[in-house]
Amino acid sequence: MWDRVRNWLDVRIGINDLVEEEVRAYRVPKNINIFYTLGVVTIAGYLIQVITGILLLIYYVPHPDHAFQSVQGIMNKVPFGWLFRQMHVMGSNLLIGVVFAHMLTVFLMGNYKRPRELTWIVGALLLFVSVAFGFSGYLLPWTQLSYWATTVATAIPTAVPYMGDLVANVLRGGESVTGATLSRFFAFHISILPPIFLMLLGLHLFLTKRIGISGTPFGLSAEEKRPWTEYHKKNHPDGYPYYPRFFQKDLFMVMVYLAVMFFLITFAPNLFFPGDATMPADPYRTPASIRPEWYLLAPYQMLKIIPNKFLGVIIQVALFVLFLFWPFFDTEKEKNIMKRPFLRGMFLAAFALWVILMFWGRS
Amino acid sequence: MKRRSFLQLLLSALGITTLASLLYPLVRYLVPPGTAEKARTLVIAKRDIPLGYAKEIVFNDVPAVVVNRPGKGLIALSRVCTHLGCLVHYDKENRQLLCPCHAGTFDLDGHVISGPPPKPLPVLPLRVDGENIVIG
Repeated sequence: MWDRVRNWLDVRIGINDLVEEEVRAYRVPKNINIFYTLGVVTIAGYLIQVITGILLLIYYVPHPDHAFQSVQGIMNKVPFGWLFRQMHVMGSNLLIGVVFAHMLTVFLMGNYKRPRELTWIVGALLLFVSVAFGFSGYLLPWTQLSYWATTVATAIPTAVPYMGDLVANVLRGGESVTGATLSRFFAFHISILPPIFLMLLGLHLFLTKRIGISGTPFGLSAEEKRPWTEYHKKNHPDGYPYYPRFFQKDLFMVMVYLAVMFFLITFAPNLFFPGDATMPADPYRTPASIRPEWYLLAPYQMLKIIPNKFLGVIIQVALFVLFLFWPFFDTEKEKNIMKRPFLRGMFLAAFALWVILMFWGRS
Repeated sequence: MKRRSFLQLLLSALGITTLASLLYPLVRYLVPPGTAEKARTLVIAKRDIPLGYAKEIVFNDVPAVVVNRPGKGLIALSRVCTHLGCLVHYDKENRQLLCPCHAGTFDLDGHVISGPPPKPLPVLPLRVDGENIVIG
């Protein structure tokens, strides 16, 4: 039966050749390590977000009078509603962690260097879109925490002279966070960001496939010595076949991701639900402590400690531009960070600062 | 001009016209429309705010506070912090307005005492009419 289906498909779409070329004959370098699985884990994580997000849409009502109650209904009345919401919330946080880890390992292995600059830039934009997903989804339950965190975050553009107020008004759909903001964030979360994300992901995979996997974590490889004007796909004829060898590794890491997610749902269900995240939004009472999700704590704290709001915003924009176009700033040929004490020192200092700001922002 | 060049020129002109015709409505669509005419005044009883006390109100959808300052009289201030939009509250002990988000403090005239707020709290028009306080 299966052979007949397969033959039917092969006649029409050439599935046998497709599987042979793209899966069995596709070889990965021998010195590939476990961190190379993080891309596939990220895709699996997004798939979970899409499925659980669609399930939540069935019961969620994007209106200020009903949003909080509808989410409470999902958590308390709808059979297994709590599970799908927990998967969505836990997944969104884990996913951003995995994307961070993916970029961090690419950075440490120097795999952003020529000819993979564009792959890095698209990856950084995917991280930005992931954070935008988290930020826009944060408001949807219409809780005290989400309402006031959004109030603070959407006020940030007002630091920019001339255009700032207009940008904030467009984000909010008015002068303050209201039902119009909820509608905008809902539209942004479920229908504007997904196609942008899919386009970027497609481009990222296309670039990864076209240029080939960087099999030399350290040292200068052949394609990096080649002039800018030449294209040559990096193949690994002596490498391992992707299927089943590396595919199993990918699958193993996806299972680790799921295991961590379900462990947290079982043993730390309130990890991302502090007290004010269970109270309905009150536009006339600011809670004593407002904080965004963990991945925005460092920029949030930075804004808090820099006395000039405009300067704070400018510094953050400059850091983002530096991060996005990092392959063009780092012109050194050496990939091994262990042989580059200055870069290593800068990285450790930046990472330590980020961790300090994150915990400071949380306190 | 050759026919092909003319066609290319025409195509560019049509493309730009179509793009502009779509972009302009899109930008106008995204900028929120103006709100309806708001209430001109809000009246509250003077006896509701004894000396040294404050009352939180909402005036034209803006959260505000009316403070009865010892020696200085009544003042109505917006409660929206000029830093990042959190709502300040009246600290009776220290006779100041405090923002819970980033610890910005304002005196009872709305001026910044400390913290990151870049400018004073907006003062709302207020007058006393007999036993009433009229805001707006």
